[in-house]
Amino acid sequence: MSAAIETPPETPAEKTAVLPTVSVEEKPFRPGMSGVLGRGLAWAAVAWLVLAVPGNHLSPFDLGVSDVGVLSTAAIFAIIGLSLNVLIGYAGTISLGHQAFVGIGAFTSAFVVTDLGMEFWLAVPIAAIMGGVQAALLGAISLRLSGLYFALVTLAYGMFAEESLFGIAALTGGEGGKAAPRPIGFETDYQYYYVCLAFLALVWWLDLRLTRTKGGRALQALRENPRVASSYGINVKAYTMLAFVVSGVFAAIGGSLLAHHDEVIVPSSFDFELALLFVLMTVVGGLRNRLGVVLGSVFFALLGSGFLVEALHLTGFVEGVIGLPKEFVALVIGPILLLLTITRFPGGIGQQVAPVRGWMLGGRFDRHAGAVKEIEVNDVRA
Amino acid sequence: MSVLEVDAVSINFGGVQALREVTLRAGEWEIVGIIGPNGAGKTTLFNCITGFYSPTSGRVRHRGRDITTMPVHARAALGIGRTFQNVGLVKNATVLENLLTAQHLRIGYDPVTGMVGGPATFAEERGLTDRAHQLLELSGLAGHAHARVADLPYGLLKRIEIATVLATDPDLLLLDEPGSGLGPEEAHSLGDTLLGLRKEFGLTIVMIDHHVPLVTRISDYVYCLNFGEVLAEGRPDVVRRHPEVVRAYLGEEEAAS
Repeated sequence: MSAAIETPPETPAEKTAVLPTVSVEEKPFRPGMSGVLGRGLAWAAVAWLVLAVPGNHLSPFDLGVSDVGVLSTAAIFAIIGLSLNVLIGYAGTISLGHQAFVGIGAFTSAFVVTDLGMEFWLAVPIAAIMGGVQAALLGAISLRLSGLYFALVTLAYGMFAEESLFGIAALTGGEGGKAAPRPIGFETDYQYYYVCLAFLALVWWLDLRLTRTKGGRALQALRENPRVASSYGINVKAYTMLAFVVSGVFAAIGGSLLAHHDEVIVPSSFDFELALLFVLMTVVGGLRNRLGVVLGSVFFALLGSGFLVEALHLTGFVEGVIGLPKEFVALVIGPILLLLTITRFPGGIGQQVAPVRGWMLGGRFDRHAGAVKEIEVNDVRA
Repeated sequence: MSVLEVDAVSINFGGVQALREVTLRAGEWEIVGIIGPNGAGKTTLFNCITGFYSPTSGRVRHRGRDITTMPVHARAALGIGRTFQNVGLVKNATVLENLLTAQHLRIGYDPVTGMVGGPATFAEERGLTDRAHQLLELSGLAGHAHARVADLPYGLLKRIEIATVLATDPDLLLLDEPGSGLGPEEAHSLGDTLLGLRKEFGLTIVMIDHHVPLVTRISDYVYCLNFGEVLAEGRPDVVRRHPEVVRAYLGEEEAAS
């Protein structure tokens, strides 16, 4: 028997101890030939659905005028959803009076076109400025009040706008409403849809750049920890105001589009029910998730107009069996979805579509992508 | 001229006097340590220096300029950077995003130009990202750039926090318990890190820590606070042996024996 001293077998722990602590950079995933093709087809399908189908181009469906009108509303709701997302999602302040934000944009635009005789294309920026100004006023109040008290102020503001502000006949036409003609060349519902889509693209771009630059990062920091934010030199008050103004501008663009979509607007259409729907669609869509908010808004727009109920042939069931007008389905399903979102899927619809989104952007299909562990405390603070 | 001058600062919360006539100064390139039992008013003093609290009486000066009533973000712009006792980071963001946020004051474009997508903003953002990576490299955190802050252990967060404060370009660094939660060996290496940072960035550092060996090793001057008052001040070894300090830390009986 050999007397040589055997080296003791290495334990896994010792083995790893000598390894240099270098982070292993994973090679970025590149889809193969079929992967590229699959993703290309998916993109083409989305583009077809968004761009071609509503205009009845290359499409087996024959969408009627009212159907396309609903889709325009969906695009407008998406703009409003992104607007509310800036306040609730980025700045962490709730607004229960967002119908006022939208309504002020709508009436400004109608007034500018009908009474001042200006072009639609000039009315939208003017409405946006008005929206920014009125949002700044509310923002100034938010610097003094927070949480539930501020939520109550926004609620009262929304009511005030609906009941008093929009009732000033000289500006809004009072009960009879105000005419808001569509721009020349985009009079039909099919044409106007593309106007709405173009503005949605613009708002999407602005929101995207906001989150990726100075302002968005400052808002994230001040939402999560205002003390840390200010120690970085971020002026918390100024950036809170920025969030309000941006939200006001987006909402007013949405309102302006809504006015010219309906062609006649009346004060009573900007009621609290609408504000509630806006909050529902934004939170269920998924706060801070651009795609989620847009999809949530589209879903609630289709649901709120009764389009979805009709398309699924459920009108008989909903109105006949349950006895609920189809326009109210959103306000019944919404809170249930809200509850599900807060308790089970804090990422909302954005969380559900994250795997597909990641795959379409050239990543692997990751089932767990976009999983949000829990809703942030300050999202439910108010 | 002193970088930081705290001149007879007192602050009351209701009936409680949290600070009483505290005077402190930190000169160029100095490391000043603040020790003292819990509740002595150390963090309150930091809050007066950075602007979260405004003192009831007394003045705070930065390079001779009275900053007593200046808001927090304006003081940050003067170069006063601080860390927090319970880690001041944006928890739902990645480490890299935190470093980008911390460079807020370096950014030349305004937020609206950033939103619209001005061409210069893209180049500037690339510059910020490069600098963030450099700072991470320097702090030995390069491997964690894309990790979410909430998923990382406490000891690492303390280091990341120092990296983010450096990103704000401070000339005066206020560290609130950088050594908390660290073992003796880690505390020793933290001391070396801080000495290195002073040399590299030309910083003046004021640090609060309970880790007396760490504070006495690297500090040029030490203040001991107790019940909101400066109990003793001087060279580290002097303060450490000061009978009042020993009594405050160990209690009446041990000091007597």
